[in-house]
Amino acid sequence: MKAMYLVNYFVAGCIASSLLGWIASLHPMAMRAIAFLLAAVAVAWVMCWLLDFSLSQTLKISVPQLQALLVSVLAVLLIGLGVFLCT
Amino acid sequence: MHLKMFVLSASAVALWLAPLSALDKKINWHKAAQGVSLCAGIACAVKAGSIAYKLSADAEIEMIKERAITADVIDEISTSAYVSQQQRQQEAELMLASPGLDVEASRKSLEAIYDNDLQDSVSASDNPDYLVYVEVCKSREAGKSVTWIVENVLKMGGRKFADGKAKLETLLQQFEGEQK
Repeated sequence: MKAMYLVNYFVAGCIASSLLGWIASLHPMAMRAIAFLLAAVAVAWVMCWLLDFSLSQTLKISVPQLQALLVSVLAVLLIGLGVFLCT
Repeated sequence: MHLKMFVLSASAVALWLAPLSALDKKINWHKAAQGVSLCAGIACAVKAGSIAYKLSADAEIEMIKERAITADVIDEISTSAYVSQQQRQQEAELMLASPGLDVEASRKSLEAIYDNDLQDSVSASDNPDYLVYVEVCKSREAGKSVTWIVENVLKMGGRKFADGKAKLETLLQQFEGEQK
């Protein structure tokens, strides 16, 4: 049941990233805003990878858990935006 | 609860993929439909996730309960086994010990009785008048008179006859009293 819980939140993240793509498709300004948001997320993601040990202590989770979270965030963004762009 | 969760999960995936792929882009309202279906899909997925989380927490609690019950049952069984083993051991020890205790108690009581008799006999035989008393008893059994006993056994005839008679009475009282 824990797997279902993780899968559902993963699907929710994918749909949310598709929603971001949908918002970006509404207007050129929205696209810029979303691009800026994605760039900020990318910078934060790279920073998280660089500071994984200190972040794991701050968030009180293990380093492998933080790395799994970062990989799943990347997968969520790629899948969600990929599905939106490919359809 | 499980069915609801699976239906919500399937709905979320359908609401995510169907408007994006199946909806004709020439329709004016396809953008609005996509937005609405994506929002609904997020809501369905989050709701299904929360239900799954609740179910997994319940399953974990049930598992902990089962483990606790199993551990309790095992503890109960082992405790009863231990107690019965202790009881059996105690009973066996009692059974083994009880005849020994009887023998010991009998031995002690016999020993005490024997010691008392021995002390009596020792105390009587240690007394120098005891031999005289034995002689007196033999003479009385032989049917001799008090005067004969005083004169021949106690050797107190003549002037000492009264003292001899008193001594005879004293002897008899002393040793016959001890025998009683």
